Amino acid sequence: MRPRFISFVLGLLVALASTLVTTQTPGFAQATKTDRLVFASAGFSESNRFWNVARPDHLQYDPFLETLLEVDPKSGKYTSRLAEKWYPSSDYKEWTFILRKGVPFHFGFGQFTAKDVVHSHSFMMRPEATATLAGFWRQVEEVKIVNDHHVVFRFKQPTTVMDYAASRAGDLRIVSKVQWDKEGLDGLDKRPAGTGSYRYSGRQPGLSISFERVDNHWRGEKPAFKELEFRVVREESTRLAMLLSGEAHIADLPRELQKDALKRGMKIYSSSFPVDWMTIYLGGMYFMPGDKAFKAEVPWTNKKVRQAMNMAVNRKELLNTVFAGKGTYTYVTGWLPQSEGWNPEWQRKFDGMYGYNPAKAKALLKEAGYGPGQLKLKIMAFTEPGESEGPQVAEALGIYFKDVGIESEIEVLDWAKVREGFRKKTIGCCIWPNIISWRPSEESIRTFNYSKGPNHHFENEFIDKTYLAWSQSVKPEERQRHARAIADHLFEEFADIPLFWFSNEVLVNPKVVGGWVYPGLAAGRSTHFHLVQPAK
Amino acid sequence: MQRYIARRALQSLMAIWVMTLVVFSLARISGNPLDVMLPLEAGPEEYERVSKHWGLDQPLHTQYFIFLSKAVRGDFGDSWKWHGESAMGLVAQRLPATLQLAGFALAISLVIALPIGVLAAVMKGNGWDTAAKIIALLGQSLPPFWLGIMLMWIFAVHLGWFPTSGRGGIQYMILPAITLGWFQVAVLMRLLRSSMLDVLDSEFVKLTRIKGLAEWKVVWKHCLRNAAITPLTVFAIIAGGLMTGAVVTESVFSWPGTGQLVVDAVRARDFQVVQAVVIVFAGIFILTNLVVDILYAYLDPRIRYQ
Amino acid sequence: MATETLTTLPWYATPKVSRAMRRVGRYPLVPLALLTFLLVIPALFAPQVAPYDPLKGSLSKRLKPPAWQQGGTIEHPLGTDKLGRDMLSRIIHGARVSLMVSLVAIFVGGIVGTGLGLISGYFGGWVDALLMRLVDISLSLPTILLALVLVAAVGPSFGTVITILMIFLWARYARLVRGETLSIKERDFIARARVAGASHIRIMARYIFPNVVNSLVVLATLQVGYVILLESTLSFLGAGLPRPMPAWGLMIADGRELIVTAWWVSMFPGLAIMLTVLSLNLLGDWLRDHLDPKLRHV
Repeated sequence: MRPRFISFVLGLLVALASTLVTTQTPGFAQATKTDRLVFASAGFSESNRFWNVARPDHLQYDPFLETLLEVDPKSGKYTSRLAEKWYPSSDYKEWTFILRKGVPFHFGFGQFTAKDVVHSHSFMMRPEATATLAGFWRQVEEVKIVNDHHVVFRFKQPTTVMDYAASRAGDLRIVSKVQWDKEGLDGLDKRPAGTGSYRYSGRQPGLSISFERVDNHWRGEKPAFKELEFRVVREESTRLAMLLSGEAHIADLPRELQKDALKRGMKIYSSSFPVDWMTIYLGGMYFMPGDKAFKAEVPWTNKKVRQAMNMAVNRKELLNTVFAGKGTYTYVTGWLPQSEGWNPEWQRKFDGMYGYNPAKAKALLKEAGYGPGQLKLKIMAFTEPGESEGPQVAEALGIYFKDVGIESEIEVLDWAKVREGFRKKTIGCCIWPNIISWRPSEESIRTFNYSKGPNHHFENEFIDKTYLAWSQSVKPEERQRHARAIADHLFEEFADIPLFWFSNEVLVNPKVVGGWVYPGLAAGRSTHFHLVQPAK
Repeated sequence: MQRYIARRALQSLMAIWVMTLVVFSLARISGNPLDVMLPLEAGPEEYERVSKHWGLDQPLHTQYFIFLSKAVRGDFGDSWKWHGESAMGLVAQRLPATLQLAGFALAISLVIALPIGVLAAVMKGNGWDTAAKIIALLGQSLPPFWLGIMLMWIFAVHLGWFPTSGRGGIQYMILPAITLGWFQVAVLMRLLRSSMLDVLDSEFVKLTRIKGLAEWKVVWKHCLRNAAITPLTVFAIIAGGLMTGAVVTESVFSWPGTGQLVVDAVRARDFQVVQAVVIVFAGIFILTNLVVDILYAYLDPRIRYQ
Repeated sequence: MATETLTTLPWYATPKVSRAMRRVGRYPLVPLALLTFLLVIPALFAPQVAPYDPLKGSLSKRLKPPAWQQGGTIEHPLGTDKLGRDMLSRIIHGARVSLMVSLVAIFVGGIVGTGLGLISGYFGGWVDALLMRLVDISLSLPTILLALVLVAAVGPSFGTVITILMIFLWARYARLVRGETLSIKERDFIARARVAGASHIRIMARYIFPNVVNSLVVLATLQVGYVILLESTLSFLGAGLPRPMPAWGLMIADGRELIVTAWWVSMFPGLAIMLTVLSLNLLGDWLRDHLDPKLRHV
């Protein structure tokens, strides 16, 4: 007959059949009253090994692994959670935590005690620990158990940020020692027990992580949705599509797409507080005496040039166009009204010193000795999942600079290269926009402006001296004084080009979600899912 | 025949080894993974500690030697981004999804290309021929990522016939498979058509016609067999193309396969995973070529003696 | 040389270019016309033809729809992108960029591939075996993956894209040329030349190469379209041309999240790619049918 043709067709049918057989049973999500709340996120590092996961990716632990302290969704203050009371010693080298009684772990792994705190901390001491605050946690000399519900952290140096680190904004996730003894690392990888109002129910690698509600949570938290799922969706347009088609009920969307979603009836839920700031950082600001990395030819080592660059940027237009008007002005990078050292004068002075004024910018440049076209610089741009505006801002910046006679070249790199540049102080050539997530301003200075810190942005002797005084001071008024001194200094010196503070914004389907309050400052930004209210 | 197989197998092994060298070097040039692994707060002591833990403080050739000696045993190290998973484990975890998608895409494109291609050749200059030409051309001209996005918006969002992303039942596979297979329809069809044309025209077939063999017998039995030789070679290339084309399709549709895995790994500078994926892909491709070459040699003895 | 029919073993030499050109009346008019408008004129005269500077835009005019839509103006007939740059100008300049990238890549890849293919086919032996293994390896390199890794290493740039494309292309030329060289070198006139004392290089350049040119031209034309597609895919993934170059692939990538409301940002560059590649393929097909039918296998 026609054997070859038949065998060919048969082979085809076998191929088709085998692909069908290997698929799972169909299940098509629809946007109706649902027990399972689906959140389409930009993705996170999928792993249960929290000591290796950066703060923003702790989103995946927020529902089921708790922390010693809470971040209040409305006030942003640190309040009690697994710890009822906490206080530092007078020299701030020891921090005591009185632990809550009657907190059960999931899956029957007993009650929460001090042993679990020691155990959870011990992960940060492992050689491969890369959590955001791993460096901080490794400063702990000893975690002393006084009794089952009383634990003391002793540090090598005094520290004033322990409450931040031990809170929901930090990364010390409390896991069960009993589970570890029984099941080891495998148990943690496969089915970690926590104390939250949701319980870990599983992961689909590359796709999602799911949780299910727990009855009788120790604090009485009663999440409205029986099941919760975080989907990993890297493409923004796919997240929008999922939200619109009903496959997802909450979606993390970039500002560009928010308009589309809003047009189609979705609603925005904003975090109570700003969570990220965007600033254009300037390379080469190494003003420590004798710093070999300092090069005087870098044009913006001249304060006039820095001011000119600031005045060349039309912040209002930038905010309205690239960021759809969603943001508030930053006066000093890293400072919010609730930060230590906030100075209300900045708002008054900002327009005069930093405001959009191309004519004045050109004049300043001329004074500094740069005629039109004589100043050339490189703008480095990069994108990260969830932060796609870098290159747009860079291009807009190029256009603004061109208007005042600064020639710029844009180089799109990946984040790691830019970071290597400022870590090694080789980035004097360039400026770069960066979006940084909120951290206490003391931490911000240590990380970015302290000469012995890792990142070497704008640094000089004054900042070093004042920072040391600030971090070692335990009296509130003294601390405020030092904090303000540094912040005022950064303001007056035009240390960088501050742009905006952004809140975390997610889009929700109002047919499914009726309300949600979350601070944004907690690790993971979109947190407190137990507070999501169903639509009426 | 034995000698031919042995020779080709050895050459394939060599090719795979060179691949490891190329990938290893490229991955290393792409920079320090610690800059991605460690948070902004990390100072020089953290860098040193983690670097030592992963053996990154060793000189490059030592690292390559360690890598190679483990790789031959199938151990590509632990992932730096997916903590707790081994690189090979991740690939094994995600590969079925990609193979499934690629297989389905290939099936779809064959189902469309085979009848049209053959008919176009047989009824040359006819409506089929023009139709085939048009489809082929369209297929080869549309950017696949653009097509994917358009399909998603029309069929998943506006019409709601299919889900937009993810993996589950067969309805999750349709849009990505069409996107992935689209390009191949064109290639397959042109190929089938042209090789069929050649064979139909050949002396050998003229002879069978003179012999009085029924036309369909001529077409199916004799032409297709000989025409099958060239598509066989291209099949290997297409299979490889499908797998790497999956990178774009998986990104658009969030299909959890190796394509998405490697994009994430490259961004996170997770060399271990990048090496594993690229070597596995290349390995599959080289091995497919090997099998095809052997089949080819079997079908056409002249090849063996080249 | 006697004219050989196409019905014998298909790997013999083909009619020369001049003979084909004499076949008047069957020029592919439509694709040639499209090509001229879409590719050649913009590529050559972009600065004169394009109404605006493709790199300069004003944020206040961003995302304006095409002229025939509500909100569009005739000043920007195809609308503007998210930085307020004129789409029409960017597409025109994009033609230039795409063509440049493709031609340079094909030229370089072609030269390398042809040279190596000639050597490989002519000398045979271990040189051939080595080069063919290199070809295999090169063809087995997953292009897109390697592009991602390479770009992560050295950053996106014109040079990086050309390098990637070239690595992808040379092997096909090498294979093709080697195959043809293998068959041509056995023929009488080559033997005669060798007897007459011609050097290897002379033989390769003077006798073999001209017979191979047909196929090369056809292959190149067939490939320009594919190279343009490949470059746009790479740009889409972020592994192609750097911003703010007006490359079609980059434009589609920029517009992909806006596909619902600002569809023109992705649609027009996509159309441009499609029409260009279509025309090139049609042209290539015609060339192949008339110059070198055996390339149907390619």
